[in-house]
Amino acid sequence: MVIVERLQELLQAPLFGTSITFGNLLWLVVILALSVIIARVTVTNLRRALEHKVSKNELEILLKVIYFTIVILGVVIALPNIIADLSGLLVAGGILGIIIGFASQSAVSNFVSGLFLMVEQPVKIGDNVNVGDISGNVEDISVLSTTVKTYDGVYVRIPNEKVFNSEITNYWANVARRFDYVVGIRYQDDAEKAIGIIKTVLKGHPFVLKKPSPTLYVEELGDNGVNINVKVWSPAKVWWDVKIELLWKIKVALEAEGIEIPFPQRTIWFPEALRVDTRSGETNGKEQ
Amino acid sequence: MFGRHDYSFQYSNDQITFGLQPDGECHRYFREMKGGKRIEKNVVSQRGKIVVCPVEPVNLPEPVATNMEIEFDPLFMEPFSKKTIFLTFPVEIGVFVVAKKAIKALDIFSFVPQKYSLYGPSNGGAIARWAYSPIYGEIPGVNPLECGVIKLTVHNTTKEWVEVSRALFDAFSMKLYYSSELVSMTAVMRILSSKTAETEFFKEAVVEGMKKSIEFYLGRDIPVVKHNGLMEWGLV
Repeated sequence: MVIVERLQELLQAPLFGTSITFGNLLWLVVILALSVIIARVTVTNLRRALEHKVSKNELEILLKVIYFTIVILGVVIALPNIIADLSGLLVAGGILGIIIGFASQSAVSNFVSGLFLMVEQPVKIGDNVNVGDISGNVEDISVLSTTVKTYDGVYVRIPNEKVFNSEITNYWANVARRFDYVVGIRYQDDAEKAIGIIKTVLKGHPFVLKKPSPTLYVEELGDNGVNINVKVWSPAKVWWDVKIELLWKIKVALEAEGIEIPFPQRTIWFPEALRVDTRSGETNGKEQ
Repeated sequence: MFGRHDYSFQYSNDQITFGLQPDGECHRYFREMKGGKRIEKNVVSQRGKIVVCPVEPVNLPEPVATNMEIEFDPLFMEPFSKKTIFLTFPVEIGVFVVAKKAIKALDIFSFVPQKYSLYGPSNGGAIARWAYSPIYGEIPGVNPLECGVIKLTVHNTTKEWVEVSRALFDAFSMKLYYSSELVSMTAVMRILSSKTAETEFFKEAVVEGMKKSIEFYLGRDIPVVKHNGLMEWGLV
């Protein structure tokens, strides 16, 4: 009994002449420790559960948000043990919040944009994208910025706010994409035969998709030749390789069959006959 | 060609020459196909085995798909009907090196040209290795180095007539079996509606006595969760 009474006295004894007792301080420590333990256990279990379901970046951000939410909740619960009235703290916190808000407007904007990007997912790590005037592969998406490696191998960090507000073209968002060529042939060549040859080339390429099938047609009777439009669907991940590989194969196949790509030419017509002075070997132009 | 061999293994026919040859204390793997370049790889191992077996046919010329689509002549299935058919599929051959209980894919090649297709729309659909097959009522006679045989049970679980002319298979769940005469898989296609179906493979050879192939995705150390092929963009 005596020990319990002593303990109660100790717990209720004010610390350093303030109204805060040793008991208050003990509760504060216990609640804070508990909140940290609960946060860690929750985060560990969530990491195990979501490891293969959520991308690494998103998972880390989600876990940090959950961890700090639980810890802050613990602090809010624990604080009344040492501060009887939180209203003063709220006022101070409000003013501090305004100051921090103004100071970190840009960072907060990027953070919020980052969260929206993670929810909307217009781009993913590894995607081939065009953000504003920057083109390349997405290397990383963090809370504040998105990192793109351009096709020249240059590292570009784009603030998430800019990514969120920019026009985004994602070349890998869909599994397949279409590209086209305009293949010109001479007027004396048989366009149907040329189309047949090109179809054979396309049929022989594994990544020219069977469905949707390629489309070929005479698009234009041009100034220098007949233009055949070739539209090809290919897996998005290899479309560029297919595009550059096929064009040369088409050219070689057409030439092997005697069909040539026309070069620019002009037929000049004179309304009156030309007179050629054979004695001097020079052309004197129109007859006087 | 198929089977488990020592490091002294070499194979040659009119289309291909491949195998291992000693190179100092190690070995050198080589492969040369008719009209193709010679491929060589150094194998730093003195003792082990080489396994040559069919693998999931979605790896060549480079892996861009994890599905295989087989198109066949239309089948009109009456409500709640079930029909077992045999289809052919293109074979890809894997060469694996096995030593100290570890396995690694060394090479993949094929004697048949590849073709890919888009199943479904470009947003949400899937790229799939494509092949056409006639419908057979029994195991067809095919060259096992070029064509395999799927025993496919098509099951219309709906109360409507359904037309089906293609099947989509998920490569992650393929169970390939081989012998010197045949490469095979056994699968079921459950038609869930006039537009949707699911396909599933069984650990079952078409003919008794066939050996099970190494699952290439396991050979590549890729964690695999069991998948069923889901056809949600039509059956025709």
